Amino acid sequence: MADFKLIFRDPSLRVFLLLPALIFVVINVFLPYLIDKYEAVNEYVPYVLIVATIENTQMFGFIYSMVLIEEKETEVARVYGVLPVSKIWFVLFRLMIPFLITVSLTWAILLLQPFYDLSVFLTLLFSILSGLIVPVYCLGISTLSANKMSGMVWIKIFNILVVLPVIAFFVPDSFSHLFGMLPTHWAFQGLNNVIEGEAFFFNAFIAFIYFLILTTFTVRKFASVHFT
Amino acid sequence: MIQVKNLSFTYPGSTQPVLQALNFEISEGEIFGFLGPSGAGKSTTQKILYKILHNFSGEVFIQDKPLDQWGKAYFERIGVGFELPNHYLKLSGKENLELFSSFYKKERLLKIPDLFEMVGLQDSMNKKVEAYSKGMKMRLNFIRAIMNNPDILFFDEPTAGLDPVNGHKIKEHIVDLKNQGKTIFITTHDMATADEICDRVSFIVDGRLRVTETPSTLKHQHGENKVSVESKDGKSAEFSLENLGKNLQFLEFIQENQLLRINTMEATLEQVFIQVTGKTLKV
Repeated sequence: MADFKLIFRDPSLRVFLLLPALIFVVINVFLPYLIDKYEAVNEYVPYVLIVATIENTQMFGFIYSMVLIEEKETEVARVYGVLPVSKIWFVLFRLMIPFLITVSLTWAILLLQPFYDLSVFLTLLFSILSGLIVPVYCLGISTLSANKMSGMVWIKIFNILVVLPVIAFFVPDSFSHLFGMLPTHWAFQGLNNVIEGEAFFFNAFIAFIYFLILTTFTVRKFASVHFT
Repeated sequence: MIQVKNLSFTYPGSTQPVLQALNFEISEGEIFGFLGPSGAGKSTTQKILYKILHNFSGEVFIQDKPLDQWGKAYFERIGVGFELPNHYLKLSGKENLELFSSFYKKERLLKIPDLFEMVGLQDSMNKKVEAYSKGMKMRLNFIRAIMNNPDILFFDEPTAGLDPVNGHKIKEHIVDLKNQGKTIFITTHDMATADEICDRVSFIVDGRLRVTETPSTLKHQHGENKVSVESKDGKSAEFSLENLGKNLQFLEFIQENQLLRINTMEATLEQVFIQVTGKTLKV
């Protein structure tokens, strides 16, 4: 609750809450208009949808990165270090709400897009996978950043890293595997397979395991440095 | 209440130990002061005691139980007043306290409006902390440290940034907490504060404890056993306290001159610190 008070009282964070609405308008209004005008755009719709699901995670990724960095800068984080609460559970519980909101919004974007008739279950599955970016993103950035300035640099780097695997769709197969080093590659490939009606399980499984390992690592690292 | 034996600590990545074989004990209901210049190891010692820093060597016991055997329950029993104000600036003072109090068991929590009234912030408790002065933020630090009615309190420079009136009030509150039976561990480089409120003090320099004693004993041990007498016309003299009443020179001085002041030549705590450690306390 306090996190949302902090977000709503900071205009620079509050404005980011509009991002899902903007994505929704692009997918449901702007993209159909473009396809209507230029038929060639149709071919790129799966990639736009994939990027849209990832960009939707940037809302809470950015907002919580900033909240956590400010907490570090103002040394409020140290207060949590002397409270009767498990630091790891506190971090997990605190990020649960932005994770669930991100999953819900991504699910809504995928379900309500006008291009494909996607399964409710599969869209939920890939919404959960993309939602797992949120904790990794904001914990990673706030752990690496000493202040808001360095935070902005890391945000730009992370933004590029999460979207970069979309290039895999435009390069020969032999090169596309290189993007497997990045976890979003597996989520992208899996969602693309769902859209194309192909087998998705392997990609989804790798993405899930990859995110699980990254989440565990970032939560532990964050808990060990943030509260001191 | 607190026993520290051979406590040493080196920060990861450093080869130079910050603390070297510290030994001290703090009794229940005592105000214990750690005095030393910046970088001496005062805050590091406190951070170990409130379990922010681990991997120390030596032994620390809290109520005869090793520190590492204390779990979450330990944090219910301690309060920490940090050196610098650290609050959510976009939240009001009251919202800050409500947020952090929500992590404690309700039974022991003090009433938030009473806490604000205690430090004279009752009119500002609904204002955002970004509108507070540094002194107000420090008072908020203080009441946050005591809101869970802890048995052990750690204060790092509790009067830093406060004007004399509010500094005095905070010192009174600390003494009041001691009278309630709380055990209080203060770090400071403010000798006057330490002299006023601490039952015992330790001097720490370069990670080593040089002496642990009551302030009055230290001042007595390191002062001169003399009185200094000064007359209104600028004459001054020093006389030994021994048989002062029979010292003819002293008696003659006070009979023949109109006196401005007579002082015992007890050392100040700062002078004792310099004598014992060879260092000053300037930051």
